[in-house]
Amino acid sequence: MLTFIGLGLYDERSITVEGREALRDADRAFAERYTSHLVGASMADLEAHHGTPIEVRGREGVERDPEPILAAADGGEVAFLTAGDTMISTTHVDLRLRAHDRGIDTRVIHGVTAQTAASALTGLQNYRFGRATTLPFPYAHGADGLPESVTAPIADNRERGLHTVVYLDIKVGEEARRSPNVTGGDGDGAEELAEYMTADVAASLLAAAYPEVVGVAVARAGSPDPLVVAAPLAELADREFGDPLHLLVIPGKCHPIEADALVSLAGADRGDLDTV
Amino acid sequence: MGRRKKIVQECERLMDEPENIRNIAIAAHVDHGKTTLTDNLLAGAGMISDDTAGEQLAMDTKEDEQERGITIDAANVSMTHEYEGKNHLINLIDTPGHVDFGGDVTRAMRAVDGALVVVDAVEGAMPQTETVLRQALREGVKPTLFINKVDRLISELQEGPQEMQERLLSVIADVNELIEGMTQDMDDVDDWTVSVEGGTVGFGSALYKWGVSMPSMQRTGMDFGDIIDLEQAGKRQELHERTPLSNVVLDMVCEHFPNPLDAQPRRIPRVWRGDDESELAEGMRLVDDEGEVVLMVTDIGIDPHAGEIAAGRVFSGTIEKGQELYVSGTAGRNRVQSVGIYMGGEREEVESVPAGNIAAVTGLRDAIAGSTVSSVEMTPFESIEHISEPVITKSVEAQTMDDLPKLIETLRQVSKEDPTIQIEINEDTGEHLISGQGELHLEVITQRIEKNQGIPVNTGEPIVVYREAVQRESDTVEGISPNRHNRFYISAEPLDQEIVEAIQLGEASMDMPEQERREALQDAGMGKDDSQDVEHIHGTNILLDQTKGIQHLNETMELFIEGLEDALDNGPLAQEPVQGTLIRLHDAKLHEDTIHRGPAQVIPATREAVHKSLIDGHIMLLEPMQDVRIDVPNDHMGAASGEIQGRRGRVDDMYQEGDLMVVEGIAPVEEMIGFSSDIRSATEGRASWNTENAGFEVMADSLQTETIMEIRERKGRKLELPPSIDYI
Repeated sequence: MLTFIGLGLYDERSITVEGREALRDADRAFAERYTSHLVGASMADLEAHHGTPIEVRGREGVERDPEPILAAADGGEVAFLTAGDTMISTTHVDLRLRAHDRGIDTRVIHGVTAQTAASALTGLQNYRFGRATTLPFPYAHGADGLPESVTAPIADNRERGLHTVVYLDIKVGEEARRSPNVTGGDGDGAEELAEYMTADVAASLLAAAYPEVVGVAVARAGSPDPLVVAAPLAELADREFGDPLHLLVIPGKCHPIEADALVSLAGADRGDLDTV
Repeated sequence: MGRRKKIVQECERLMDEPENIRNIAIAAHVDHGKTTLTDNLLAGAGMISDDTAGEQLAMDTKEDEQERGITIDAANVSMTHEYEGKNHLINLIDTPGHVDFGGDVTRAMRAVDGALVVVDAVEGAMPQTETVLRQALREGVKPTLFINKVDRLISELQEGPQEMQERLLSVIADVNELIEGMTQDMDDVDDWTVSVEGGTVGFGSALYKWGVSMPSMQRTGMDFGDIIDLEQAGKRQELHERTPLSNVVLDMVCEHFPNPLDAQPRRIPRVWRGDDESELAEGMRLVDDEGEVVLMVTDIGIDPHAGEIAAGRVFSGTIEKGQELYVSGTAGRNRVQSVGIYMGGEREEVESVPAGNIAAVTGLRDAIAGSTVSSVEMTPFESIEHISEPVITKSVEAQTMDDLPKLIETLRQVSKEDPTIQIEINEDTGEHLISGQGELHLEVITQRIEKNQGIPVNTGEPIVVYREAVQRESDTVEGISPNRHNRFYISAEPLDQEIVEAIQLGEASMDMPEQERREALQDAGMGKDDSQDVEHIHGTNILLDQTKGIQHLNETMELFIEGLEDALDNGPLAQEPVQGTLIRLHDAKLHEDTIHRGPAQVIPATREAVHKSLIDGHIMLLEPMQDVRIDVPNDHMGAASGEIQGRRGRVDDMYQEGDLMVVEGIAPVEEMIGFSSDIRSATEGRASWNTENAGFEVMADSLQTETIMEIRERKGRKLELPPSIDYI
C-alpha cells in the first residue's frame, strides 16, 4: 500500500489526524521537499513528532528513480509525504500511476494546500478563481521577460473578471545551484541549499507588465502569524513580508463582500479595487 | 633624427591620404620565399640594412620562427614608397604558408585589399597556392603574382630563354586558371587574372634581391637575355643594383592594388551584413575618417610591456587614445590605452590612426581575433571563415602546481590570439586539452608556453579528434522528461554535403537576416518549406521546427536547444561532436505550468530524443583525413607510396613533374602522426611533402567498435554501448 499524505501548510502539527495515524502506522516513510516546503518544521522535527524515520528524496529520487519507493510499497505499508496536498503539485499523479501499473494499492489523505489558504485568508471566493500559474525565477525559464504561461492565464482571468493565484518558485538542493543568488553548499551540503521567491520580488516582476493592478501578498499561510497585504503591484514591490513561504493573488472584479474583505483584512484602498 | 623615426613621421603624414595607401598581404605555399621577399621590401624602404636583407628574416620575429626557418604568425609592418612622384604608405602583412597555420592567413586577408601571391618558379603552383588564393578571393582581395627563385632556372637548371619563357608562362597559366575558376561566380569583380603585359606579374630572386616586370624592363632597358647573362656570370650584385626587386614589386603594388577608397565600397558589402542604407555603411564605404570608429580585429599579439595588442583594419572613423569602444559579442565598452602602427616586429605609438589603415591598439581587453570594435553598437562583421576544423588534441599540464594559474592564463591567451586553437581547461584535474590544425601547430603552441612563458609542462601523446554522423533517415522517436509530463518527437537524417559546406563557409548562419539565410540554404539545395523552418544551427547540424501551433513551445525552445547542443557535442557513440545532421522536431507535449517544464525536465528529455534519433539513423564514427602530396626522385617512389599505403592510406595518382615523381593520396590523420620522420628516413631525406586537412570520413566497419571503445576508455566512460546500437 502506498499512501500519499499531505502535511498541510506550516509545521509538524498541520497534518490531519487521519494523516498522522497513517504515517505512524507505516513501515517506511518517504518525503520530497522540492515542490513545496514546511517552513515551520524541519525533517528532524517531523521525525521526532511522529516517532518515525523519514527518508527524503530529491527530484531525481522521485521522478527518475522511484524504484525504492515502489519496491517498499509492494508488500509493505509506505507513506509518501509532501507539504500541502500531494496531488496539487502535479507530478505525484505520475508516481501513483506507476504504483497502479504494478498492482500496488494506493490511497490519498488530503492536506490543506495553498490553494485553499489563498481563498480563505483573502476573503476572495473560491468560485471566482480562474487558472492558477507559477512564477519562475528569471534564470529558470527560457523566455525574455515574463513567460507567456504566466501572462496568458492572468490576462485570460482578468478579461473574465476572475482572480488568479500566482505560486512563487522554490528551488532546493541541486536545482538551487543554478541560481545566481545561491552560493556555497559544496558536496553533501546541496540538501541545505534553498531559494524561495518572496512576494515583493514576484510583485516587482509582475509590475513590469501590470504596474497599476492590485495584488494581494499572502505570507506564511497556516502559521500563527500569517500576513495578508493588498496594494498595487508597484507598491508591493517595495514592501517586505518576512519569512517564506509567500504567494500572490491577482484579484479580478471583486464582489462587494470580497472588496470589503480586502479593505478590512488586507488593508486595500477601496479606490484601487475593480468591483462588479 | 634617426632614420626609423623619420619613416614613422612620414607614415603618420601619409595615413591621412587614403588615395596613397595600399594595404597588402603576401601569401604563398610554404618555402616559396615570401618572408625573404618581405625583407627585400623593407630594405628597399630603408627599414633594414640592404646587406642583411634575405638573411635577416626581419618578419620572423619569434625565436621559434627563426629556428624553424618558417613563418608562423602573420606579422605586420608599414613602409613608404615613392611611385610616380608621390609617396605611398604601404601596410604589409606577412602570412604563414604552412597549412597548420591557415587561420592566420584568412584573418590577414580581411585587413588588406591586395594579395601578392608568391610562387616558386621551379615548383610552380602548389596546393597551398590554391588555398591562399581562395582565401584572398573569398574576402574580395585582388591578387597579383610574383614568380620567385628564377635564378635557379638559370643557374641550377641551365635553362635557355626559350625554355624559361615556356616554364614561366605555364606557371602564370596555372595561377590564372585558379583565379578564373574562383571568380567566375563573383559579380562584384571584373577580370582579375594576371598577365605580364598588364604588369600584374613580376619575376625575380628574393634571395639575390633582383626582379623584373614588363614596366621595369621598359624603364631599365634590361631584357631577359641581359638577366640570364648577368646571372650566369655570377654578377648578382650588379643585377640587384640595376634592377632591384623592391622597386619592381612596390611599383606593382602602388599601380595595381586598389587604395582603400576604391576597395572599401566593393568589399564592405562582401564582409558586412548590416544595413547598407545606414550612415555607418556610408562611413565605411567612403573611408570617412570623421565617421563612427569601426575596427575589424584580425590579430591579437602580446607585448611583454604593453600587454595584449589588437591589430586590425580601421574601416571608418579615427581611432585615438581614450575612446570608449564596443567590442562585438561582449557587454560594456573597453577604453583605448594607446594606438600605434607596426614597424617590423615593433610597434610605434602614434596620436591617432584614421580610416583605411592598419592599427595596433592596446586596452581592448575583451577583443579576440575576429572581433568588431566600434564607437556605436553595430552588426558585427561576418565571422572570418576558416574551414579547417581542429583535428588533433594534446593534453598539457604544468609540471609544478605553482605554475597552474599562469598556465591557465597563457592558454586563454593562446586561444584569443588564434581562434583556430580550441582550449578545454579542466581546473579539477589540471590536465588541459589544446586542439589544433596539426601536429606542428600544437608543437609550436606548447613550445611557446615553455619558452616564452617559462612554464615547464608535461604534454600527452597527440590524440585525433573524431566526429559522429548519421548514415540514414531515422524514424520519429520520443524523448520523455523525468516527470513524464513533457515529450518531444524528433527524427534525424544526413544533411546534404552542399548545405554542410554552405554552413562551413558562413554562407548560411543564424547571425544573418532570416530571408538571406533561407535563400542561401535553398541555393545549397534545401527545400523551400524546410528552409523556412530552420530554428537553430549548431556546428554543421541544423534543427528544423516543424511543429504547428504548440502552446508554450516558444518559451521552452531555449531549453530544448540547450539540450540539443549538449547531445550534439557529445554523440552517443564516443561523446565526440556530431556533424552534418538534420534534426526535425515534429511534435511536443508540454506541461501547462512553467515550473514543471524547467531545465531539469526539458534538457534530459531533449538529450534522450536526440540520441535515440541519432542511433536510429545508424550513427557512425568519422575520422579526419589528410591529402598527402610527396615530391620524390624516381628511385624512392616506391618507398614514398609505401609510406601512404602503410598508413591505411590510398594512393590516388602518380605522375612525372620535371625530374621528380609526384605521389598524391589520402590517409587518416591518426596514422599521419610521426609521418615527417618516417618519410625522411624512408627516402633518405630526398622527399619533400605537403599535407592538407581533407575533412572527415566514416571509419571502416572493422575499426568502428575498437576505436569507439578506445575513446570511451580514455574518457572514463563505461565500455558498453546502448543495446540499441546493434548495427555496427
